[in-house]
Amino acid sequence: MVSDIPLSMVRSGSIVRISQIVGGCDDVKRMAELGLQNGTEVEMVQSGSPCIVRVGQCKLCFRQSDILNILVNSEQF
Amino acid sequence: MSVDAPAETLTVALVGNPNTGKSTLFNGLSGIRQKTGNYPGVTVEKKHGSFMHKGQKVTLIDLPGTYSLAPRSPDEMVTVDVLLGRQSDEAKPNAVLVIVDASNLERNLYIVSQVKELGLPTVVALNMSDIATRKGITIDTKKLKKRLGLPIVVTQAHRRDGLDKLRDTIVSLADRPGKQSDSPFPPEFCEKVDELHAKLQQENAETPRYLAERLLLDTSGYLEKELIGGGESLHDWINEAREELSKAGQPVPAIEAISRYQWVQKSLEGIVTREKVAEGSFTDRLDKILTNRVGGAIFFILIMTLMFQAVFSEAIAGNLTALIEGAFNQLADGIDAELPDGALKSLINDGVIAGVGGVLTFLPQICILFFFIAILEDCGYLSRAAYLMDRLFSKVGLSGKSFIPLLSSFGCAIPGIMAARVIENRRDRLITILVAPLMSCSARMPVYVLLTSAFIPPTTYLGGWIGLQTLVMLSMYLVGIFAAVCVAFILRKTILPGETPPFVMELPSYKFPSISGVLMVMLEKGWSFVRRAGTLIFAMSIVIWALSYFPRDEIAATAPFAEEVLTIQNKLATADPEEATKLEARLGVIQHTIDGQLLRGSFLGRAGQVIEPVVRPLGWDWKIGSAAIASFPAREVIISTMGVLYNLGSEQTEESVELKEKLQNVKWPESERNVFNVPVALSIMVFFALCAQCAATLAVIKRETNSWHWPIFTFTYMTVLAYLGAMITYQVSAAFLLN
Repeated sequence: MVSDIPLSMVRSGSIVRISQIVGGCDDVKRMAELGLQNGTEVEMVQSGSPCIVRVGQCKLCFRQSDILNILVNSEQF
Repeated sequence: MSVDAPAETLTVALVGNPNTGKSTLFNGLSGIRQKTGNYPGVTVEKKHGSFMHKGQKVTLIDLPGTYSLAPRSPDEMVTVDVLLGRQSDEAKPNAVLVIVDASNLERNLYIVSQVKELGLPTVVALNMSDIATRKGITIDTKKLKKRLGLPIVVTQAHRRDGLDKLRDTIVSLADRPGKQSDSPFPPEFCEKVDELHAKLQQENAETPRYLAERLLLDTSGYLEKELIGGGESLHDWINEAREELSKAGQPVPAIEAISRYQWVQKSLEGIVTREKVAEGSFTDRLDKILTNRVGGAIFFILIMTLMFQAVFSEAIAGNLTALIEGAFNQLADGIDAELPDGALKSLINDGVIAGVGGVLTFLPQICILFFFIAILEDCGYLSRAAYLMDRLFSKVGLSGKSFIPLLSSFGCAIPGIMAARVIENRRDRLITILVAPLMSCSARMPVYVLLTSAFIPPTTYLGGWIGLQTLVMLSMYLVGIFAAVCVAFILRKTILPGETPPFVMELPSYKFPSISGVLMVMLEKGWSFVRRAGTLIFAMSIVIWALSYFPRDEIAATAPFAEEVLTIQNKLATADPEEATKLEARLGVIQHTIDGQLLRGSFLGRAGQVIEPVVRPLGWDWKIGSAAIASFPAREVIISTMGVLYNLGSEQTEESVELKEKLQNVKWPESERNVFNVPVALSIMVFFALCAQCAATLAVIKRETNSWHWPIFTFTYMTVLAYLGAMITYQVSAAFLLN
C-alpha cells in the first residue's frame, strides 16, 4: 500500500519521491525554484529537524513548518 | 551596439543561482575595478565592475544570486528592473551573462529559461566543471549549445580558467541582436500572456512581454500593485484568465515550474551522463562529521572559539590596534604642537581625532572577524553552521538563516544588519535586524576591558585555566545573547506574530576558499566601516564635542588658579630638573581640574547633573550618566568622556593604568565612599551590553527597514532593557557584595 508521509519521517539513506508540497502558493513555488516539486526524487541524507536531503546533485536542508510541509511517497525504492 | 563604435561602453548584467561561484567570476572578470553602492529605497547592493577587452570597455553589473527571476518584493523587483532596463539609475544591459553550476544543471537551467525570454543577447558560463567531473558528470557542451541556442563558455572561475574566452564571447555578443526565444509555456498560456501584454501596452507602450507573463504568474499580489496599481477591470480579467487556465490544466503559478522543468529536461536529454562515483564524495564524508548532532556541535564550538580568539588576541588584533592608536596619538601631538590653544585645536583633537580615531581602532578586529566569516562562507561551512543553529533558532521562531547576520554582529552590528538581507521572510528579517544590536560588538570591548581589569579581582580557577575576569567578560556576551533570545521570542508573540517560517537552504559542496575573494570581502567591509567613521561618526563626534565644550567660561574656571600658575611658571625658568618635573606635574593637575570644571559647566555636564537622580538607582554618579549620554554616537566614546570627566584629560585608552587607578579612587562628594566598586562596574557593563548607543546602527536600521519607526523602536526598547538590566545588576550585586 502506498501512502503519503511527511518528509521528516523518512529514514536516513532512503530515496523517496515527493507526492505533494502542502503550503501557500508562494512557498510552494519557492520550493519548485529550488528544485523541490511533485515527482522529484529525493534522498534523505540525514533525518531530523531540519533534515538534509539530496536533490539531483545538490544538498538542501529543510525544516517543515505549520505553513509548509513536503509529503512523500512511503513506498521506498 | 555595433563594431563601428567600440568606444561606447557595453553594459552586461551577471545573474545566476547562489553558490555557483558568481562573485568569484565577477571578481575574476573585473579585478579590483569595482564600485559598490545601494539601489535607492531597497536593500539590494549595487555592484559594478568593469574591464577593457580588445579595445571595448565593458561594465559588469553583479545582480544578487537568485534561483528565479520571479519578483515578489521590491528587492527582487530590482533584479528584473535592471535586466529590463527599467531601473532609472542603470543603463539597459546590452547583454546578460548567466552563470550556471555544471554539477547541478537541472536546477540552474531554470533561470536560464527565464533569461531567454527577456530577449537580450545572452551568454552562459558553465562554471565549476572540475567539481562536476569529480562527481562523475560529463556534459556534451556542443549539443547543449545547440539545444539552448546560446553560446556557452566553460569556466573555472576560482582558477581563472576560461575568463578570456568568456570576455571574447561577451564582446562579440553585443553585435548580435537579441532574439525572442520560443516560450516553454503551452500555447493557451502564451495567448493569455499576449492578451495581457496588449492590455498593458495600451497604458504604457514600453511594457515588456516578460512583465505581462510575470503579472499573470504572480499570485502574491505584489506585481499587480506595482504594475497596475489597483486597476479593477484588469484585476478581474487576470483572475478570470487564471481560472480558465486552471480549467485547461494549466494552474497558475504551478504551470511555470512544470513548463520550465519540462523544457530543462528536454534540453538535457542525452547531454548529461553520470558515472557512479565511489560511494561518498569528499563533501559527504565531511558532512558526516560536520552536520552530525554531536561532532558538528563540537566542531562548531571549536571554530567559533578559534575565531573569537583571533579577533580578541593581543598578538594580531591588539598590535594592529596599538599601531592605529599610535598613529592617531602622533597626529594629535603634531596638532597640539602646531596649533594655538583654543576651540579649533580642541575641535580637532578632542572632537575629531578622539571620536573618529577611537572608532577606527576597531578596524583590525572587524577585518579579522570578516576575514574568518568570508573564509567560512566561501568554503561552504557557514551554511552548515546555519543548519546546526536552526535547531536552536526555530525554538524562538527564527530560522537558521538568522545565524550569519547575528554572527557578523559580534564584529559590528552594521554589516550584521545588512547581512539580514538574505532572509526572505519579512518578519524574520525584521526580528533579526531588531535583535542584532544586542550581540556584543567590538565597540563594547574597550568598555568591558577597562572595567573588568579595574574592578574584577584577577582570581583564577581550575589551576589558572579560567580567570574570573574572563568569566565576567564572557558573561557580558551571554547577557546580550540571552536578551536577544528573549526579545526575539517576545516580538514573535506580540507585535510581529506569525508562524515559524519554514527553512530551506542549499548546502553547497565544500571547496578551498579563494584567497583573493576573501581578502576582497574583508577590504570591502573594512572600507565601508572607515567610510562610516569618516561621515556619520565624524559628524556626531563634532556635535558631542560642541555640547561638552560650550558654554565655556574660561575666565571663571582659570581665575582661582591664575596666581599659582604664574608663580610656577616663574619658578620653572630657574628650577633644577628634579624640581621642574614636580612643578610640571602640579601644572598638569591644575589643568585637569580646570578642564573638569569647564566640562561640568558645559551643556553636557549640566544635562548630566539633571539626570543624576535617574541614574542613581544604577549606582552611578552624574559623570557616568553624562558619559553614557555622550556615548550616544558610539559606545566607545564613554571612555574618553569619563577620562575628561574625572579630570584626567581626554587621551585615555582602555589600557591606561592612570584611568584605571583614578576610577578606583573616585569618591562621592563629601564622603569616603568610592564611586566605583564591583556592582557599579557590573552595572555599567550590563548597561553597555544592552544599550543602543550607536547612531550608525540606528541609521542602518532606518535604511534597511525604510522607516524611522524601527530605529526609534530599537533605541527605546534597548535603552529600557539596558536601564532595567543595569539597575537589577546593581541592586542585586550590591545586596550580595556590599553588606
